[in-house]
Amino acid sequence: MSSTTVDHAHDHSHGHGHDDHHGAPHGWRRWLFATNHKDIGTLYLWFSFTMFLMGGVLALMIRTELFQPGLQFFNPEFFNQLTTMHGLMMVFGAIMPAFVGFANWMIPLQIGASDMAFARMNNFSFWLLPPAAILLAGSFFVPGGAPAAGWTIYAPLSTQMGMGMDMGIFALHIMGASSIMGSINIITTILNMRAPGMTLMKMPMFCWTWLITAYLLIAVMPVLAGAITMTLTDRHFGTTFFNAAGGGDPVMFQHIFWFFGHPEVYIMILPAFGIVSHVVPTFARKPLFGYASMVYATSSIAILSFIVWAHHMFTTGMPVTAQLFFMYATMLIAVPTGVKVFNWIATMWRGSMTFETPMLFAVGFIFVFTMGGFTGLILAVTPIDIQMQDTYYVVAHFHYVLVAGSLFAMFSGFYYWAPKWTGHMYNETSGKIHFWASIITFNITFFPMHFLGLAGMPRRIADYPAQFTDFNQIATIGAFGFGLSQVYFLFFVIIPTIRGGKQAEAKPWDGAEGLEWTVPSPAPFHTFEEPPEVK
Amino acid sequence: MEQREQQEQQARQQKVRSGNLRTGLILASIAVVFFVGIFVKRMWFS
Repeated sequence: MSSTTVDHAHDHSHGHGHDDHHGAPHGWRRWLFATNHKDIGTLYLWFSFTMFLMGGVLALMIRTELFQPGLQFFNPEFFNQLTTMHGLMMVFGAIMPAFVGFANWMIPLQIGASDMAFARMNNFSFWLLPPAAILLAGSFFVPGGAPAAGWTIYAPLSTQMGMGMDMGIFALHIMGASSIMGSINIITTILNMRAPGMTLMKMPMFCWTWLITAYLLIAVMPVLAGAITMTLTDRHFGTTFFNAAGGGDPVMFQHIFWFFGHPEVYIMILPAFGIVSHVVPTFARKPLFGYASMVYATSSIAILSFIVWAHHMFTTGMPVTAQLFFMYATMLIAVPTGVKVFNWIATMWRGSMTFETPMLFAVGFIFVFTMGGFTGLILAVTPIDIQMQDTYYVVAHFHYVLVAGSLFAMFSGFYYWAPKWTGHMYNETSGKIHFWASIITFNITFFPMHFLGLAGMPRRIADYPAQFTDFNQIATIGAFGFGLSQVYFLFFVIIPTIRGGKQAEAKPWDGAEGLEWTVPSPAPFHTFEEPPEVK
Repeated sequence: MEQREQQEQQARQQKVRSGNLRTGLILASIAVVFFVGIFVKRMWFS
């Protein structure tokens, strides 16, 4: 049972002047010394959007080079830097911090807490990110250039590069520390600070998905930190963890990396599931179908994510029994994921549906993410994966999951909660233009990549045979369209919504449920200082 | 009366804070175990 009702007799924290009696600090101090979860959430969201644009520019540089066969603009070494930095910036700088931003804004509001459990650590978690981003981006300007080993920074490539790799590794260390602190904060807040009466099985799905995601982060980010620390000692202190010449094993790096890397995929998608699980019921005007099964499915996905890592490594050579185990374990993930998709569709079934922008992005998410899920299932089949490894089919697959999955869900969440954040309604026409432009150009960009991959075009290569030209040109045109759509989003949706627009009501969506809609819009600086009682 | 309410609220907040600290330390120790564990595994058990 996910819906909650609030006992207003006990809820003194909203709709009164005393919400703001401490007042918000002003000027730069408000942001530098921020301990308020809403301010820190805002900082995270702006940071991640900036990184999203930077990573997007790198993507457009990649697509520009690939518009034609041959080398037009960049040499292969720099091209490798572009693909690597695009991946690192998008994964660690854009998607992960964006979801932490959503968590900061929404979790305390959804569980009726006054703030996050560790407000100062929350500040520290955020302010670690800009120096890390500067280190990462600054690596382009040092001798040898930026890391160019792919976002997976496989040894022995990563043990041989210039100081740009050290900067990248330090950046990952810092971002990892930030993530671990953020996770500790989120778990503690959810476990210890829920409003009276809000049992775990009454908790909003976004909080559930983030709780599970935070546990995943705590388990796997230290593993990544260990792997890159070993890489660092191999580079500078004479160890040979991953150096075969000294008795080490470069394939071991891949095992350790993917023990982090596969759960990481779910870290980037589970909070998206949570957002969609709010938006769909709201605009179908029905409670979420199968709330308990959603919780169990999320947990199952998280647990299974720990036992599938080697499906990224089928071509490294492994015993057939291991291939079978990882293949079947990977396929098993389709079951809880299918439960989720089924539940979203069942929620919409016979609902009084309307298609405002959040719902458009949520339905677009379900449609396109499912396509990415199916190509994932195809890639899980070992003999197929051995053929498809490192081709554009894989690039198409994970962009369907991470762009149409994570990013579209975040857009959905933005349109859904922006009235609560800003106090203004966004312009519906602009939102719809943004949606249609994004989903059309997204498919123009990434759908042809399936064909390129099936035809054998390898990823991370600056040049290609002439037979691949047509699909590459279509993909490049789509990519520039997608980039322009996001510029439109910034200038015609985000900024106008912050600056003004129609005043938002406390609950702008008539089908919405949850504590966040019981506070005024915009949410006051202090909320739920007296915890509400949930019935 | 109001003073007593304030004291009760402070006591409640203190209880939540110490609970938070305990949970936070447990979670941090899990992270440390995973970080150290990967070195231990690689150095002595592989």
